[in-house]
Amino acid sequence: MSREQGQAHLDTYLAQVNRHLHGLSEAEARETLAELRSHVLDRTDGHLSPAAVEAAITALGSPRDVARMNVTERVASVVETDRSALSVLRATGRLAGLSLFGFFAFLVSLTGYAVAAGFLLAAVVKPFAPERAGLWRIVDPNGGYDYSIGVVSTARPAQELLGWWMIPVGLAVGAGLAYLTWRFGLYSIRRMARGVRRQAPG
Amino acid sequence: MVIKRVAPADDETGKWETQLRKGGLGLAVLATLWPGRLYGLEMLRRLEADAGLSVPEGTIYPLLSRLKAEGLVTSEWVESDAGHPRKYYALTELGRRRVRDMAAGWRAFANGLERLLAPMDGDNR
Repeated sequence: MSREQGQAHLDTYLAQVNRHLHGLSEAEARETLAELRSHVLDRTDGHLSPAAVEAAITALGSPRDVARMNVTERVASVVETDRSALSVLRATGRLAGLSLFGFFAFLVSLTGYAVAAGFLLAAVVKPFAPERAGLWRIVDPNGGYDYSIGVVSTARPAQELLGWWMIPVGLAVGAGLAYLTWRFGLYSIRRMARGVRRQAPG
Repeated sequence: MVIKRVAPADDETGKWETQLRKGGLGLAVLATLWPGRLYGLEMLRRLEADAGLSVPEGTIYPLLSRLKAEGLVTSEWVESDAGHPRKYYALTELGRRRVRDMAAGWRAFANGLERLLAPMDGDNR
């Protein structure tokens, strides 16, 4: 009976860890949980008394901390081997659910790339559709103006602000913004990795 | 990550010692694998027994997953006599070269510092 209780205690702990592993693929999560299970079984020498299991999982750390360390380190190490913009953006997405800062970093990355894409798109399309691509000031029927970048199609009165300058400005601003967004994503991921290493229980 | 201190110390010295040990942890973990493959708990026990490094248990697997992603270690699941599979880690060729280089750097640093500290021996000022 005691062994069954210990087993149930371990299963509950692993299920709680699993709930926080949403930044990992199914295979990665399975591997992480299998390794934690194996660790607890080794530490208790197979005697799964509730007290022994409790001591082992206390030494590992809270489910949330253990999951956060595993997810962050795995994601951060992927980025260190593949630093492409897509890899960094995907990594910020995987870390978004772990903390408020992670969510903020993902939101900023997404916004940064979207605005950069708008500038680049407007610059590339400008020679082919000069009347539709650019930086637009659109009259708001309720008063004031809305601003839009890229290729627009609106029935509302709009004024294009840059003319042919859209091409060099769009290319420079788009590329610069994409680069800064990429640097920010990389910085955020490394900051989160340093954070879990510092805050690890012990 | 909190590493156990060896000597009682004031707060600032203690922080410095913790940082020093954290800096050496990567080398220490890789060095445990030099003689052959080990699983996580074996590594923790060896770190504690041989180097006095008490590493929080939950931190070893994220660290190993990073070392694996860097190509320094490999891992494989092996059935054990204990009745459950264990994940063993071993150094790759790159890992072996890296730990040898790190050890050389560590020794050069430690020897240099030792020479610098030598005049303090027996001087109780």
